Amino acid sequence: MNKKYFHAIKLITSNCTGCTKCVRVCPTEALRVRNGKVRLDEKRCIDCGNCITACDFDAIRAVSDKLEMINKFQYKIAILSTAFEGQFPRRISNSKINNALRHIGFDAIVQESSLINIMIKIIRDYIKTHSELKPIISSHCPTVVRLIQLRFPSLLPNLLHVEAPMRILAMFLKEKFSQEQNLNESEIGVFTIVPSIANVTAAHQPEGTLKNAIDGAISIRDIFGKIIEVLPSVKQNKSNEIDHVRGMGWAISNIQAEEVNDGKLKTLAVSGIQNVIEILAKIENMQIDKYDYVVLNNCFNGCVGGTLNVENSFVTMSRILDLIRNTSYKEYYDKEIFTMYKKGSFNVKPLEPRSIMTLDKDIKTALSKIKKIDAITRKLPGLDCSACGSPTCRVLAEDIVAGKASLSDCIILQRKQKRGEK
Amino acid sequence: MAEYWYVRPEKEEAVNFFFNSGRKPDYTQKFEINEKDFIHTGRATAEMKLLLKRLGVEATVLRRFAIIGYEAEINITAHSRGGEMICNVYPDLVHVVFEDKGPGMKDIEQSMTPGFSTADQEIRELGFGAGLGLPNIKKNTDMMHITSAENSNTVLEIIVFFKENE
Repeated sequence: MNKKYFHAIKLITSNCTGCTKCVRVCPTEALRVRNGKVRLDEKRCIDCGNCITACDFDAIRAVSDKLEMINKFQYKIAILSTAFEGQFPRRISNSKINNALRHIGFDAIVQESSLINIMIKIIRDYIKTHSELKPIISSHCPTVVRLIQLRFPSLLPNLLHVEAPMRILAMFLKEKFSQEQNLNESEIGVFTIVPSIANVTAAHQPEGTLKNAIDGAISIRDIFGKIIEVLPSVKQNKSNEIDHVRGMGWAISNIQAEEVNDGKLKTLAVSGIQNVIEILAKIENMQIDKYDYVVLNNCFNGCVGGTLNVENSFVTMSRILDLIRNTSYKEYYDKEIFTMYKKGSFNVKPLEPRSIMTLDKDIKTALSKIKKIDAITRKLPGLDCSACGSPTCRVLAEDIVAGKASLSDCIILQRKQKRGEK
Repeated sequence: MAEYWYVRPEKEEAVNFFFNSGRKPDYTQKFEINEKDFIHTGRATAEMKLLLKRLGVEATVLRRFAIIGYEAEINITAHSRGGEMICNVYPDLVHVVFEDKGPGMKDIEQSMTPGFSTADQEIRELGFGAGLGLPNIKKNTDMMHITSAENSNTVLEIIVFFKENE
């Protein structure tokens, strides 16, 4: 029952001033300030990264794997997120970037974009074969999967129960290269180069995955720095130019929805965690029932908006749109991968709820707790100032009932009492 | 006053027991629903859904409750002069009364027919009034009771049990 949760977030408590800015931006009420320092409820955190962006004091840091980690393996493969190439200006060619990655230590470099053509076919097939589960919700954003587990468990069956592109590639490549290189799968290291901390968490603690083939996740930011360092000493190599740029559009949520749409399907793309929460509530209430496929992304505009990226998300988007204009898809390992998909190689276990919402196993006890929470909420000023360290007055009331805070934590109430007001 | 009753057959005994027992709810909450306020309609249901979630009510039951609540709120918002939603929570069920301020229904049976609607063009253009509201509520509820008449207020009462197979 007491599962340990991995999070790609590190709290540097010594830097924390107790300002509560992070507490107020957390979409799952996972953060509190207690005794002047930030605390994280690991069961509630969905790795959205809002708190990292909000913190002005470097007290919450993104965690990702160090490049040195690849040296533990004989053969090192880098899988580049679709958001990766958009970080670089057009004048730096893809082949030059790839050569730089080889220089850094990778033996093989594979783009997530090479899988998108077949991923689209897989998704369309999945929608067709699961027509009773309308809409199918994309499971490619790890934060969205965790949000649904936490807050919308009734929609878990609607999640696309197929591995995400980078994970499919990791499984496929590990097998392929172990044969080609005559190595054990354990000697081959597969590293994803990722735009967000959720990808890091998913690499270490995937949900529903039967066989984890990803050995680590390195942030785009870290790799970018290394590439810039070695770039002057690497050559351009025209023959190495990649030709599946079309798939890079996957980093933009609207394009994802557009590409899956074959003209007969109805698709929707929503990004930004608050928008996602709003849409999920509407889907849960059946207020939205026209769509066949819904793409949901925690980061604004999709993976181009990831916190581990270097470039501004709109600039990245315009670069990607530039790259993919007038391009078409090409087949790579499409046939093999589709056969594997049909055999169930990329299936995931039914995704399970994280039932942290329940106040008590016994419904009568839960009801009396609700009443207590209501009564305390009525006593509180209702300013939602967060000065107590809880995000809202309501959550403070919940914390009090849970024995994790007390009424005296409310500064406004204390001042009123001092003045003798009621 | 015309009246409409529906009880899911397997819940008949439980529903009768509920009405005969005169039990007091463990928790009650009242929400105002305003006429043509499409921005806030559904908020009461959302709040109640969250509460039921916190009580540990199963996901499938939650979803049924959400559909009923939302459809009923929309009905009040779109077709009446406003009203209220009174939620009574018991350890094994939720009982909700939706009461509006009129103008009432001419023919309840007709309103229960899928596709029948009295909605004007303006409402339909907004995506409401497809004539599926009450049938949808019936599909998801364990009990529904409607009383209404022309130029009078409409009262819709529903029950959803937390355990589906008991």
